[in-house]
Amino acid sequence: MPGETIPKPIAGDNNSIAAQYARAKAAKDAADRKKVAAIMKENGLALQGDKAPQKTTLEKLYERKAGAFKREWCWVVGFFAWLFCIHASGIFFFTKGFLLTRLVLEEKSSCQEPPIELSSTFKGAGEPEAGCWHPKTFDKAVVIIIDALRYDFTVPFHNTTTNPAQAFHNALPFLYDTAVSEPHNAFLLPFIADPPTTTLQRLKGLTTGTLPTFIDAGSNFAGTAIEEDNLLMQLKDAGKRIAHLGDDTWTALFPGYFEEGISRAYDSFNVWDLHTVDNGVVEHLNPLLGKDKKGLWDVTIAHFLGVDHAGHRYGPNHPAMTAKLQQMDSVLRDVVAKLDDETLLVVMGDHGMDGKGDHGGESEDEVQAALWMYSKKGVFGRTDPTFTIPPATAKIRPVNQIDLVPTLALLLGLPIPFNNLGSPIEEAFVGKKGVAWQNLAAVARMTAAGIKRYQAAYYEARGMDESTIAGSPHALWSIAEQAMISGTNKEQRWKDSYATFSAYEAETLRICRSLWARFDVPSMLLGISILAAGVLALVLYANAHAEAGSTDPALIEELDRAELELELASFAKGELAEDEPQSRSFVLTALRGIGCAVGPVLFILTGEGLTHDLLGGLSVCGLLGGLFIELKGRDLLSNPFPSTFWGWLAVIFTVSQSIGYASNSYTIWEDSILLFFISTFGALGAISSLRQQRSADRTLGVYHSLAFIALGWVASYSKLCREEQMPYCKSTYYASATSSTSAPWQLIIPFTLAVFLPEVIKSYYSSSRSYEGFAPVWIGWALRGGLILSAVFWILDAADDGDWFPYLAAGRLKSLRVPIAQTIFASTVGAGTTAFGYAIPCVSISTTAPHGASSKDAQMKTQAGSTVTILGYANTHGARYFLLVTNILLAVLMVQKPMGGGAIALMTWQILSLLEIIDLNSLSTSPIGPIILALLGSFHFFKTGHQATLSSIQWESAFIPLHTIRYPWSPLLVALNTFGAHILAAAALPLIVLWKQKPKKKGILKAVASALAWHLAYYAVVSLATTMWAGWLRRHLMLYRIFSPKFMVASAVLLIVDVIGILVALAGVRWNTLSVAEVFGWA
Amino acid sequence: MSSSGAKAQSSAAKLSLPVELLPSEVARIFTHIHPVLLLSAYYARFHSLVADPVHTLLSGILPLAITQILYAVLCLPATGSDKRPTLKKKLNAPKKVSSDNNLVSKVFTVFFALVLSLLSTPVLAAVQVLFGAPITTHLLHTLLGSAHIALLAAFPLIYVHGSDSAKWREIASAYSPADEIFGGSVGCLVGAWLGAVPIPLDWDREWQKWPVTIVTGAYMGYVAGKLIGGRLLKGKRIEFD
Repeated sequence: MPGETIPKPIAGDNNSIAAQYARAKAAKDAADRKKVAAIMKENGLALQGDKAPQKTTLEKLYERKAGAFKREWCWVVGFFAWLFCIHASGIFFFTKGFLLTRLVLEEKSSCQEPPIELSSTFKGAGEPEAGCWHPKTFDKAVVIIIDALRYDFTVPFHNTTTNPAQAFHNALPFLYDTAVSEPHNAFLLPFIADPPTTTLQRLKGLTTGTLPTFIDAGSNFAGTAIEEDNLLMQLKDAGKRIAHLGDDTWTALFPGYFEEGISRAYDSFNVWDLHTVDNGVVEHLNPLLGKDKKGLWDVTIAHFLGVDHAGHRYGPNHPAMTAKLQQMDSVLRDVVAKLDDETLLVVMGDHGMDGKGDHGGESEDEVQAALWMYSKKGVFGRTDPTFTIPPATAKIRPVNQIDLVPTLALLLGLPIPFNNLGSPIEEAFVGKKGVAWQNLAAVARMTAAGIKRYQAAYYEARGMDESTIAGSPHALWSIAEQAMISGTNKEQRWKDSYATFSAYEAETLRICRSLWARFDVPSMLLGISILAAGVLALVLYANAHAEAGSTDPALIEELDRAELELELASFAKGELAEDEPQSRSFVLTALRGIGCAVGPVLFILTGEGLTHDLLGGLSVCGLLGGLFIELKGRDLLSNPFPSTFWGWLAVIFTVSQSIGYASNSYTIWEDSILLFFISTFGALGAISSLRQQRSADRTLGVYHSLAFIALGWVASYSKLCREEQMPYCKSTYYASATSSTSAPWQLIIPFTLAVFLPEVIKSYYSSSRSYEGFAPVWIGWALRGGLILSAVFWILDAADDGDWFPYLAAGRLKSLRVPIAQTIFASTVGAGTTAFGYAIPCVSISTTAPHGASSKDAQMKTQAGSTVTILGYANTHGARYFLLVTNILLAVLMVQKPMGGGAIALMTWQILSLLEIIDLNSLSTSPIGPIILALLGSFHFFKTGHQATLSSIQWESAFIPLHTIRYPWSPLLVALNTFGAHILAAAALPLIVLWKQKPKKKGILKAVASALAWHLAYYAVVSLATTMWAGWLRRHLMLYRIFSPKFMVASAVLLIVDVIGILVALAGVRWNTLSVAEVFGWA
Repeated sequence: MSSSGAKAQSSAAKLSLPVELLPSEVARIFTHIHPVLLLSAYYARFHSLVADPVHTLLSGILPLAITQILYAVLCLPATGSDKRPTLKKKLNAPKKVSSDNNLVSKVFTVFFALVLSLLSTPVLAAVQVLFGAPITTHLLHTLLGSAHIALLAAFPLIYVHGSDSAKWREIASAYSPADEIFGGSVGCLVGAWLGAVPIPLDWDREWQKWPVTIVTGAYMGYVAGKLIGGRLLKGKRIEFD
């Protein structure tokens, strides 16, 4: 219509971007409206007035699109929330079966209070000098542990041609020979260990008399010191002095127990060294047995490691083992020669070894150790004369390792430790002639009473009724009590009561073993299946959305307009059908199951019984099954295997690493492996970039790829080594290996960041001319200001630590720096988030003549012929969304030490380079981007001073913005510190899709949902794998140290990224899209 | 991952063809002896390599260079020589006439390729460092290992393609059509990459030490790549998308 004027700018702020854009766009819209009017006329629709109704039509269309977007967004969020529930329930069920807990009771046995009335009184009862609960036999004891002394090492082997002797046979004959030749002085028995057969676990059992479990709830989880009642504690309380020589595991378990000056601990981890520990023990043991030093100790513990190390290094059938056993033989002969009459000598293996010389598992060779007791007093006996010959194999007359606890306690006149479940060893109490049935019955009764007392206390603490436990040995107890008093023959009475008390003890042990020391394998399997099904659901979802999300990047403005016209036309006719979001169908099906999935889990958490567990699990399984059938019916089940090189690369990175977690080495060296993968991706990115047609693209692609590699490499020099990485790793995260403060030079890092990080981000904005709108204020001022404050914070922190200003009152610096940290948090989390919600896109619209406008900007010719240029148009979505990432960046950076802050900054730079690589190679719909982002998150987890160990948690980060522990903030801050890199990666995830996207990009939400699903798939696969391996390797030597912590970290990361994906990534995309659409209209 | 690249051919202006071996009987025979020679020599030196990597790698450079030179001279068309060896085969006569010229240019090409591949050694070492190789220690190990990789992967490529920049861009973007030479080079690098896999394992074997596994992977990968590129997948290209 000739003569039509350009409409006035819309009401509101004249300077707002929206107003500017509207003004510029008005010229175009005028033409649009003409067309709309024509279309509507064609369709016989009456036009009321000139412009108003047409405008309403467009607005209506936009409104409808906005509504559709919001609905779809809700469904997407619904899917990921459902997924979170699935992950949580999978991890819950696995953990329930895996981390068996036993309550550690605080109670201690005391000398004066036996668990039951003494059956016969003796002089000095209730005093350690005479014997607390039973007359003592020995004053002193020498306990020698020969690590990994298997029972068949000690018994003679008859060499035949068909079955020749191995290297370990007949090399240590002393124990057997003395047991045969001096049966009153010595006995030798098979000594059965409870798995896991690791020294640490065994020493716990050998001193407390309890069964090993995963978490001894109530004890300090991170520390190793034994806090429950044990033999050494009783020795100490009785005023006995303990000397210790050898394996330093003892000093970790019993810090401060051993006499200084005469004790010597040796490092136990160098399994290649066969002699240092043993020679050291021999060197210090001999003087202790001599006259001069005899008076300095009451109990001496000597722990030899040579046999174990020879096994680990060479295996049992090797001359080194022969030599080692022969050395032990002569050492024992020397010790016996020096022993006085009042001293008991105990020699034992803490576990055996398998055919290769390793241990930790539950195979027979691993659990069958040897026990030999010796004294010159001649008090030992046998209940049967044939028992004088020690058993030929460990199958005959074995005793449990925990049996040593009551035996030693009663022999030394100590109270039996409160938690003990062992029974006294009959050879030690039956007397020389083997007929001291009264004595035997008394010790069995006393021990059984202790066990009974412990059981009652345990069930009470657990809030359970003892009588409801199946197979309760209560009946046995009353029979035994009865046997004590009834019966004709005195000896027969004691014999019977000994037998029934022993039966009671054995039965209780059996029940406890079934309660504690067994993993709940069905529950673990259930958890693993839920996680596996979750992975499958994720991959299917990601694939279904990836296809929907890919659009031709070459869509030109004109095409958009034509499409809009078409849409308008059909909308006017009322034909425009709304696509059903795929998430909706997915979630609707899932919803049916959510109730049953979440409900039972809550039930269990509130302490319901076993049946509910099963119900919960079954419902989750049913839900997943139903989901897949539904999917099949809807034909959403596309081929889950990748079709491109990049897709395969993503699979290889994820799967190979996950398989690697089955090996302790790959778990230990995870950070190096991640660097390897990250560099590999960078190299392939460079190769791929070289394939681009335009030489500018090639140059940029190679530049960003090399930057990506180099930044990762630089970051890799921030290290906090775990113990197992020694000596091949040097920690740089802190000032020294033994400190947790930053080195002075590291204080430069925060200032460097304040100067350069905003510049780096600016340079990436500038490449798409997006450093417009809020960006300069946000990045150049707000972010920089935050970084400067952070730098000041660390200076004040260092000043406090180093006492630079001694004249300042204590706490003055802390009261200064805490508000600084609080300011940063308030500005990022509070103000930053709000500002992001209202921020305008990072574009600037100019109506002047174009200055070097390129495809990155959009141009529109007005009727007057002048050109309207929108700077930053090409990266409208990405540049705006990145503002949210800077918020998260600052929050994460704040809780990191200076070195970690540097790593996080390098990670940010790497993310920006990754985005450019992804964009230049058109990979925004490929799974590789989200997977590499997940690799970056995992990599920088290590670079921010963490390891998959509990000891590397930086608890002190809770105090960065707070003076005291405050819930829920303190745990959240520690989580932000620990998983900061993962959180930043997840927050940056939508950028894979949004970076360098024009405002009218279609299907953004679908593409983001797909990317998020890929991203989560990485963590879900890792979590599934570590869960599986931890379950499979549940008796592995390194379970506590390596597999279990890794499983915990992976599970925590999965859940946290689930939450961040919803709360930051999806929420951010919603705001972002609405804000962009408000200015530019809906695609 | 690989396809004949029909789509790519239409999009890019001109794409190179796979390199053919020299049409002589010697070339045909020696190209089979060459991998056997490499692997058996490597196998023979393996124990010494594990015992003393630096010395063994250093003393191995000369024999490896000679093997590669022999392979190049006997089997491969030197850069600048007739690019269509198939034509030569048909015209058997002029072969002798140009042999003098050929020899001089071959000697020059060999020298040129040797110098350039030795120059690529520090670059290869730098790449290994970026992938996580130690930088403060074992530098000599890394450099010598890289020299072996350079002789295996870079030398034949330089000998055949010289300084043809379009071709080198194709090679750098891994988009060269598969043939013995390119296949060997890719195989060598992939093998060296895979060679890093056993290093972290706690098996405490002597052969796990740096850079034994990398060099082993490079040799095995080179031979495998040469066979695959020259036979199975000849002419195919690596497609990323």
